[in-house]
Amino acid sequence: MPGGNGGFEGCASVAGSYGGTLAPSPVSVCSVTHIDIARAGGGLESVRERTFVRAEAHNRGPPALARSAMPNPKENHLLAALPAAEYRRLRRHLTTVDMDLGQVVYESGRPLDFVYFPTTCIVSLLYVLESGASAEIAVVGNEGVVGISLFMGGETTPSRAVVQSAGCAYRLPAKVMKEEFSRGGALQHLMLRYTQALITQMAQTAVCNRHHSVDQQLCRWLLLSIDRLTAPEIVMTQELIANMLGVRREGVTEAAGKLQKAGVISYRRGHIKVLDRPSLEEMSCECYDVVRRETDRLLPFHSATLTKSSGKSPRRAAR
Amino acid sequence: MARAASAATPRTNRLLDQLPARERARMIAACEEVELDFGDVIDEAGGTIGHVYFPTSSFISMLVPMGGTSTLEVALAGNEGMYGLPVAFGIPTSPMRALVQGEGPALRMNAATFRREIARVPALRACVDRYIYVVMSQLIQVAGCNRFHLVEQRLARWLLMTADRAHSNTFRITHEFLAYMLGVRRVGITEAASALQDRKLITYTRGLLTILDRKGLERSSCACYRTDLTTYSRIFN
Repeated sequence: MPGGNGGFEGCASVAGSYGGTLAPSPVSVCSVTHIDIARAGGGLESVRERTFVRAEAHNRGPPALARSAMPNPKENHLLAALPAAEYRRLRRHLTTVDMDLGQVVYESGRPLDFVYFPTTCIVSLLYVLESGASAEIAVVGNEGVVGISLFMGGETTPSRAVVQSAGCAYRLPAKVMKEEFSRGGALQHLMLRYTQALITQMAQTAVCNRHHSVDQQLCRWLLLSIDRLTAPEIVMTQELIANMLGVRREGVTEAAGKLQKAGVISYRRGHIKVLDRPSLEEMSCECYDVVRRETDRLLPFHSATLTKSSGKSPRRAAR
Repeated sequence: MARAASAATPRTNRLLDQLPARERARMIAACEEVELDFGDVIDEAGGTIGHVYFPTSSFISMLVPMGGTSTLEVALAGNEGMYGLPVAFGIPTSPMRALVQGEGPALRMNAATFRREIARVPALRACVDRYIYVVMSQLIQVAGCNRFHLVEQRLARWLLMTADRAHSNTFRITHEFLAYMLGVRRVGITEAASALQDRKLITYTRGLLTILDRKGLERSSCACYRTDLTTYSRIFN
């Protein structure tokens, strides 16, 4: 990462802008200091330290910097799209949680105690084979929620959920989620629309797994990931990517090498930075576009929030 | 596909059977019975869903178009399920092509009526939500299956799934159609089918496929077939 100061750009809205200055502040009544060594073969270079303060601590007029940097449930587009009454009902049950790279949020077939609304992290849903091999079937970032099987009457999740990009999420007790869902109001409506978007993503991934090359899949995967981050940079090991794509590590190394050589990405010590997004879109299979369009169509507030909050230029400018 | 032998074909839909008697009767009264023919396209990907379908002895295949003529089947709905889930999500269009793969009757309901009913009847909402869970589990399974399993295993799985929904061990099928469904080249299907035939698990003559040894075919299939069945019975029983 340029300027490699040990900060974590993928979580810029939380960690990056703090720079540690707020850590000792007396208002940080529930500050959490967090040191994490990424487990998945990243080595010591991915040791990072970050500190964040819960939103409540800043309610009495924090400085502008802190306000933009503090975790806010509304960084999750589903929570942001809830009408005020629903949001307030849920707000007091929401807790910030730190999501570490490689952390298993749910194991396939296990009961669900919480659902997670990612704000700055990305969670990958994986299909797990009897042999232990896995392949990603969907990614969930700040546009979605992890644990939707809960309100479908499945008390367990059919997939494994693993943190693919470290950051924060808000979690909600399963019981609260179920109660609110069964009221049949705005939350139910939103969750159902999101479920349809997720189903589309899964179906497209099933197709992609069958038909497309590792090169194309890597492009799709990178695009889906950076859409869910505030900076076009991912902290990741090739081994984890290989697990996500269900291919051998060498396949990922080779594909990433090609992209780097073409000047589309830079890859250094676990940090992947997208340098040329239009080319990445050109090189990806159509699956990215299908998923992206369908998500925008089903969750129109999602793209609106995305443009507003990150100030990204409209996509596909190159085409 | 045309069923060769119209054996004991159920006139009921197992999803509707989950409802309390009164609600079930109401639903059925609000449906019309239609005959679906093999190859009928109910909805194209992106098309507006006019009706939701509860197959009784027909079954409907959900296909993701891949550009050109290439497609991949990602879900199959027979009398254990329904077609038209996006309506239950409050979305009027279908993201996939819905193709009749097994001809026969189905109950169908106007999409607007279905939307009203699902909002009004909590038991229907709960039942459809459970089915969504099953479909999602199957999708996950399909995604993994496509990635890791051999054509022969996938073919065995597909034949078992189809036989279950056709309520028959014999059906008409072409290698071309199988290639279309499984998203592989025709020659791959021919090889896999010959291997199953050599082991006396199936016979295939002049377009007629018969499963001779169900247990053996299950052993040749990947575990995905069993997993799907287990998920369904866990969720609905």
